[in-house]
Amino acid sequence: MYLPDGYTTLTKRAEKDDREVYDLFFGPNHPGMHGNFGYVLEMEGTQIVKVRPNAGMLHRGFEKSMENKRWVQNLSLIPRVCVPDPDPNEVAYCQAVEAIMGVEVPRRARYIRSVVLELSRLGSFLMGMGGVGGALGHYSIMYLMMESRDRILDLFEELTGGRVYHIYNIPGGVRRDIPPGWKQKVLDLVDHLEKRIPEYDRLLYENPVVHTRLQGLAPLSAEEALTSGIVGPNLRASGVKADVRVDAPYAAYDEVEVNIECSGGGDALARAVQVRMDYLEAIRIIRRLLAKIPDGSFKLDLGNLMKLKVPAGDAYSKVESSKGEFGYYVVSNGGMKPYRVAVRGPSLPAGLYLCHKHLPGMKIDDVAVWMATLAICPPDIDR
Amino acid sequence: MSNINGLLSLKLLGFSFLSMSVGLLFMGLGRKVTARIQRRLGPPFYQAFLDVFKAFSKSSITHNYVMDLGIIMSLGGLIATAFFIPFAGYAVLGSSSIVIILYLMSIGYLGMAMGVSASGNPNATIGISRALALMLGYEIPIVMIVMAMMLTYGSSDLLTFATAQQGGFANWHIFKYPLGFLAIEISFQAMLGEAPYDHMIAPAEIASGPMVELSGKYLGIGFLLHAVQLYVETGLIVNLFLGGASTWYVFLLKQFAVYFTSMCINAVMARYRIEQGIAHLWKYAGTLALLQLFITRLGVF
Repeated sequence: MYLPDGYTTLTKRAEKDDREVYDLFFGPNHPGMHGNFGYVLEMEGTQIVKVRPNAGMLHRGFEKSMENKRWVQNLSLIPRVCVPDPDPNEVAYCQAVEAIMGVEVPRRARYIRSVVLELSRLGSFLMGMGGVGGALGHYSIMYLMMESRDRILDLFEELTGGRVYHIYNIPGGVRRDIPPGWKQKVLDLVDHLEKRIPEYDRLLYENPVVHTRLQGLAPLSAEEALTSGIVGPNLRASGVKADVRVDAPYAAYDEVEVNIECSGGGDALARAVQVRMDYLEAIRIIRRLLAKIPDGSFKLDLGNLMKLKVPAGDAYSKVESSKGEFGYYVVSNGGMKPYRVAVRGPSLPAGLYLCHKHLPGMKIDDVAVWMATLAICPPDIDR
Repeated sequence: MSNINGLLSLKLLGFSFLSMSVGLLFMGLGRKVTARIQRRLGPPFYQAFLDVFKAFSKSSITHNYVMDLGIIMSLGGLIATAFFIPFAGYAVLGSSSIVIILYLMSIGYLGMAMGVSASGNPNATIGISRALALMLGYEIPIVMIVMAMMLTYGSSDLLTFATAQQGGFANWHIFKYPLGFLAIEISFQAMLGEAPYDHMIAPAEIASGPMVELSGKYLGIGFLLHAVQLYVETGLIVNLFLGGASTWYVFLLKQFAVYFTSMCINAVMARYRIEQGIAHLWKYAGTLALLQLFITRLGVF
């Protein structure tokens, strides 16, 4: 076999290894990694010494691409920024466009948007909680939660025609009204999901092995979380009562009650429990929204959206996604395409910066669990 | 003389196939059981056979001869162990010494360790080092339980233990040594590498450990290894605690009952960290086994 000068085979390196630091590729091709992202872990035995995030494999230049597409065409691009929870992207982008245009969305459309956002949140939480199970080798909970998530996707399919990417929100409202009987189906679904919670508790949240694994893992104080830019459920798990739905209400959240509670503690267990608490609250919010949903128009008439012109100006719009604040800063120069769109995703601070603090000193056993409890979403890091 | 050797060879070949087929059948049924717990349909019960046939029909990648030798040594060691497990009261080699069984069983993991560390993949090396570390956790309780039985019967023959339990349920060791049975049930999860002790494979942590370097025929041998391991370890528990069996179908049913219990525990458990796993084994299985040993000794004297 031909080998270049100075090159040693893996076998040779393994033979002369004695407590030598070696590189372990955790991703992009690894069952514990979600998506095309990776960490190069410098390891000593099974302990991590240093970490090098290996981002960029999913980089498709979304922000730049958006400058070359018309306002409404971008709606097919932006859900891809966060695959498990796509709707917050659509709503944040549409809200920014509407703010620049200075238009008021009909009340019914705002309610429908909120219901869609909460359903998307439920789906994403199910995937996230199942992901914690998967990272811990508890596959039953993962399968059970995926089955529940599929029921949500069925409703999305009926409403929007798409299961994963919905492309349902448009500047001025939503693409179509809710079909007859859909509202009752959502109510039946949330009843079903609520009934399943005790089962999840028995399998995951009351499981002694899960507690042993998660307790005290990767603690994050409130101060550290704030300075690191951590948002959403992870921030609330550290004891900071922050939620965009309450702090800066959008869509119909100013008209319904949103109760935010913090699990506190700040470790991986607190983060997992926080998701469980938020999940239950999302179910309740959906019921409150559907009880108050008004009649009326579901969108504004803005003419042919393909020819939409947005007046010059800029706006920042933020939405509370299942992983935290999703922000879109949109600048228009008055043309048919955006001048600049910038995305603020919730996964980037944890995935790229917090890893340098948490991973060194950690054992290889806990990397996937750490990622799962922080709900790090690689497409959102790369965009 | 040559006729006798020829017959013995045939019997040994038959036992090899028996252990592999029973193991593969159990693997398929186990997947079905897990699927039903997870509200899935699951693959057909003969799926493990299809997997092995498919793996053996593929081309394989090897790193060096040490890897080839390690994998073969592993399978050879486990099949040799299967010869010493009495099947429905019949020991093919005439001997079923528990000391030899415990000794040969470790060859399986040692062969695997040799094979995969030759591949140089850190994931595989971490996986096998975890398996060897876990052996420390479960072998001590098992040896203590076996010692308790050896003290009672003054023999190290597994067949003697099995025949001593004949004559109805009440004679089974599961009732005579209840603490020992609990200890071995906990250890059994670790022996099989099922949750909460599935550290060796742990896909989310070390990308399936040793399996990551096994491709094609090597993966096929990997499946067979697990199959023979299943046969050996369930057979061991049936003979030690469940009264053995005089007919083959009762023996198989008892073996499956042991595996079924293991699969049910596996389906609702998460995985410990490796150090937590070993500590748990020593703390619970070790204490139970030690108590059983003391109780037995007090009974003897």
